[in-house]
Amino acid sequence: MLSCLVYLRNSSPLPLIWYVVLHSFLMGVDGHVSQGPWFASVLTLKTSAPLRAEPKKKKKVDPRREQMVRERLKKKLKKLERVPPELIPIEDFTTPAKYMDETRVRGAAQLPFEESERRALLLKEWSRYKQTQHRAEMEAVGLAVEAQREALEELRLESEELYQAALRPDPLLFPFNHQGPSYTPPKAQYEAPEGKYNNITKVYTQ
Amino acid sequence: MAAPCSRMASRPLWQFITNVRRTGLKHTGVRQISLGSACRAATQTRSKTESVASPWKLYGAVCLQRLPVISQERNPIEDQFAELMHQMELERSLLSDHEQRLLEDSERMTRKQADNYDSDEEEADYGGQETITAQDQEDTWEQKLKHFQPALRDRDVGGTPLGSVERCLGDSLVLLVQQTVGKETIWLLPQAQWEAGETLRQTAERGLSSLPEADFKATFLGNTPCGVYRYTFPKEVRTERCVGAKVFFFKAFLSAGSATSQKEPFLWVKKTELQGYLKPAYLEKVDRFILNL
Repeated sequence: MLSCLVYLRNSSPLPLIWYVVLHSFLMGVDGHVSQGPWFASVLTLKTSAPLRAEPKKKKKVDPRREQMVRERLKKKLKKLERVPPELIPIEDFTTPAKYMDETRVRGAAQLPFEESERRALLLKEWSRYKQTQHRAEMEAVGLAVEAQREALEELRLESEELYQAALRPDPLLFPFNHQGPSYTPPKAQYEAPEGKYNNITKVYTQ
Repeated sequence: MAAPCSRMASRPLWQFITNVRRTGLKHTGVRQISLGSACRAATQTRSKTESVASPWKLYGAVCLQRLPVISQERNPIEDQFAELMHQMELERSLLSDHEQRLLEDSERMTRKQADNYDSDEEEADYGGQETITAQDQEDTWEQKLKHFQPALRDRDVGGTPLGSVERCLGDSLVLLVQQTVGKETIWLLPQAQWEAGETLRQTAERGLSSLPEADFKATFLGNTPCGVYRYTFPKEVRTERCVGAKVFFFKAFLSAGSATSQKEPFLWVKKTELQGYLKPAYLEKVDRFILNL
C-alpha cells in the first residue's frame, strides 16, 4: 500500500479527488492520520490553499492599509513643501567677485599740502553756500504757504460754499508727470536712431 | 444761540425751568437741541448772505508758469565744486573694464616694440587674432559723437521778443496780459469775474481760455487758491454793494503743446522782471507765491 502511494506521489500530479480518496482511505484504516510524521505533513501540504484552486480573497484591511501608506507619503511631501521660499537676493548689496581683484586698484596719488588745503576750504565754502540756499528756499516756501492760508481765510469770510469747494482734493491731478530740464533744449523734428538692446536683468520668481 | 433763547423768553417761567432741567439731565437731548439750533443758525446766516450780498466782488485769476526747459548756468563756486567732486570720485574708484583693456593694450604694444619680442609666444596666448584695441574703439566713438549736433543752449542771445514762450529757457516764466480794469489798462495775471454756480477754479480756467487768440494747455494744481489780492475801489465807484474786489489766484503749469502765434497782449516774464510791469501793491501779494525754484 505504502509503496504504491509513493509511486503515485512521484508520478505526475493527480487530480484532487484521488488525494481526497487517499486521505479518507488512510483515515478509514486507522482513525487518525498517523502513518508517520513526514507522510502526514506532506499530505497536508498537498491539500493547502494553492491546490484548492480558489482565487485569493482580498482582505478588507488591505485597501485601508494602502490608503494609510498613501496618506503618510502625502504628509511627508507637504512637510517638505512647507520650507519657506528662498529670499530674492538684492544684487546691489553683494559686491561682485571681479571687483575684489587687487589689480584693479588705481595708484593712490599723494596730494601735496596746498591741494588738500584748497579742497578743505572749498568744501567749507560749499557748505556755507548750500546753507544760504536752503534758508532762502525754506523762506520762500514759508511765504507761499502763508499766502495760501490768507487766501483761504478771505475766501471763508466770503462764502462757506466756495471755501468747501476749494478744500476738496482734485482727483485728476495725480499721477502728475513732467519732463524736467535737460542740458540742451529739444531739437525740432529730430529723429532718434533706432537701436536694440539685450535685457540681461535676472528675474527671480518665488 | 439766538433762536432757542427767543423761543424760551416767549414761554412762561415754569416751562423754561423744565426745559433747562431736561437739557441738563439728558445728553442726547442736549445734543439734539444744539444740532437743531446750529442748523437753524446756519440757515439764518445763509439766508442773510443771500439777501445781503457781500460787498466784495470776486475774481478768479490764473498764475500760469512755464517751467524751465534747460538747466541753469553754474556759478563759479558750483563749477569748482563739481570739478572737485569729479576728481575725488576718480581717485577713489577702481579701474573699469575699459581702462584695464587700455592698460593691457598699451603693455602689449610696449612688449612688441621691445627687442626681445617673442611673437610666437604672444600669438599662442591670443590665438593670432587681429583684435581691435580699446583706443581704436574710443576714437570711433568720438567720431560718431561729432556727427551729432545738439541744439544750442543759449538761443536767445539774438533777443527773442518778450511775448515768446521760448525766451529764457533756463528760468520759469509767468504769463502776463494787459486788461482793462476800471479806467486803466494794466498788466496783470489773467483773471475773470466770478459768476454764481461755479467754483473759483472754474472761473480761473474760464479766464485763461477766454484770452484772445491763444489756447494754452495748462494743468491746474488743485482746487485751493494760492494767494489773494484785496483792493477797494476808488470813492467814485464805491457803492454800498461793492466796496472793492478780491482776486483769488490759482497756480497752473503750462503743459507742452501751446499756441505759437502770440501777439503783443502777452508777456512771459521772469520773477525778477515782474517789478517792471505790475503795480506795487499787486506785486507785493503776487511775489509771495511765485517761486523761483
